[in-house]
Amino acid sequence: MRAKWVSLLVLAAAAAAACGIGKAVLVVDLYSFIKGSGQDTIPYFVPPGTVTASNTPRRTSLPGAGASIVDSVTIVGTLDLQNQTGAGTIGLQLYVAADSAGSYLPGALALNVPAKPVSGAATVPDTIRGRLAPGADSLFRRDEVWTRFQVTGSNGGVTLMQGRAVLKSIQLTIVLDDKLF
Amino acid sequence: MRNPLRTSLVGVLPVAFMLAVASASAQVPGSTAYFQPGTLARYNAAYRSVPMRGGRQMPSITIPLPLGLVQFFNDHPHLEDDPMFNPDSTGFNPVQILNLIFNLPINLELKKPPTPTNDVFIGIGKDSLQVDLGAAKVLIPQDEVGFGGVTRVSDIGWGMKGFRVSVMGWIQEEIKFALGDTLIAFFNGQPAQNNTRYAVTGHGLAAAGLAPTIGYNGRVVGDSMHGLYVGAAVHYYLGAAYGSSSGNGGFTTGDTLFGGPTPVKFDAAALTQYSTLGHTLGHGVGADIGFVYVSGPVEIGFGINDIGATITWPDTRQDSSFYKDSTYSRTTGTGVKTTTKLPVTYAGDVAVTINSTTFGLAVVDGGEGATLRLGGEQRMGPFALRGGLGRDQHKRVQFGGGAGVRMGPVSFDVGVWTHANALSSERSVTMGTSLSIY
Repeated sequence: MRAKWVSLLVLAAAAAAACGIGKAVLVVDLYSFIKGSGQDTIPYFVPPGTVTASNTPRRTSLPGAGASIVDSVTIVGTLDLQNQTGAGTIGLQLYVAADSAGSYLPGALALNVPAKPVSGAATVPDTIRGRLAPGADSLFRRDEVWTRFQVTGSNGGVTLMQGRAVLKSIQLTIVLDDKLF
Repeated sequence: MRNPLRTSLVGVLPVAFMLAVASASAQVPGSTAYFQPGTLARYNAAYRSVPMRGGRQMPSITIPLPLGLVQFFNDHPHLEDDPMFNPDSTGFNPVQILNLIFNLPINLELKKPPTPTNDVFIGIGKDSLQVDLGAAKVLIPQDEVGFGGVTRVSDIGWGMKGFRVSVMGWIQEEIKFALGDTLIAFFNGQPAQNNTRYAVTGHGLAAAGLAPTIGYNGRVVGDSMHGLYVGAAVHYYLGAAYGSSSGNGGFTTGDTLFGGPTPVKFDAAALTQYSTLGHTLGHGVGADIGFVYVSGPVEIGFGINDIGATITWPDTRQDSSFYKDSTYSRTTGTGVKTTTKLPVTYAGDVAVTINSTTFGLAVVDGGEGATLRLGGEQRMGPFALRGGLGRDQHKRVQFGGGAGVRMGPVSFDVGVWTHANALSSERSVTMGTSLSIY
């Protein structure tokens, strides 16, 4: 859907009444764009040391916010760290960019979820919660963004640590100054 | 490089101001307060011959004093750099610009309306879309909405013994639109559906011309204390130009709302008709009638304007345009005979005048809903005090008051009135001033 038109339709009425200073709050179910694509699961294989693995960048459609000012973008989500062997820590990073290639750049790092210890064949639930880096905010005025999840595994032992991080839910809350035109 | 929007706005302001001047006697509370029977001459052809009582006199011309424009230019001293007129600025909002053009700030805002703050929530998923407009939901029109009417911008003529020959300038404008049922449901909070069309229909019309007029008004029964006055006028409308456009546009969702293989499909269709200067003039006949019954201090009036005023445009061009994936446009007819119709306006009033005190009630319905005004005026020599109340389009009671002073052939009037917007019950206060020449 060329979602910018949705913005125009949805908020034109409010603007027409000089509703002015109110905020537009976009609640984006980011997980719905990933679910079923295979990109909700990030396998990891971590020999002694530190290794990163990521999913393929995924495009997410947004309404497009014109000249609006993005006040903040917060994220709330859950994931399961389904460890199979070994022990260590698994952290998660979210990269956001205007295009697929850009999501691989270090500057696209928008959120770093603190690493959580895993050990043996066990599933460790984890939460994703935080405010995206301010540099990422303006990207959410666009009608699409590309996101990439990366896990960073640290293995302090001698046994291969392997498993997979499975995203269970991700929701972005984007607060805009209502200024679509 | 000059800002074209600012240039356009500067061009529009004088035109809008001239229109405001032309219709000032009907619109500026500074001169009319909330009720003044003589001002209904615009809507009741009989009033031209009814002597004004209570020390009142009909001015030859009323000019609003644009204190609001002084306020506006004080608030926006540097239009060249003003973000309000710069499309590249985050301060630019075309809705505000349109509002400025259609509601020229001639009057002074003594107490500005509170700016309603309303958060709008939009929930988006790959296959879901839902909005919560919050308090702004009340603004979503459930039925067709619009505005329009006929403005008589001048009426220059000559009369004798009740008969009058004149030439009237007229402008008609009409804008209507309606949301489709699915779109209304969406704005009311229902989730967007797959494979569903969401559409809006709209219609706009503007026409202008002259109308040579012959009329009669006078007392046909009784005397000045107890009498029946009638008025009638026949207009031969000459349409200089008109344009109208009616269309329907929308989009149809695919199997998946966002990012699916079948993206949303936009479509639109419109029929535009116009007859501009240089085409054969439009023509038509319409009539006004009015009655005023005076019995002692009581005055009862009823008038109907533009009866049967259908204008035939013999030389109309018709263009059809259509959008689906790309735009198609073609001329479907030239020299086509089309018609437009001026809306009939009804006006009724009751007034009681005792010495220098007048109380009255007036109802005017120009086809876009009736307005009701109730008020009084007390004259004391050259001074006048006025007050009243009315019901606004949100069915809330609003108040108005004013004063005037007459100095020979000139009078100065000032009026204040309250109003409120749809999202707030708090009233704001506006002041209007005008200068009248007798």
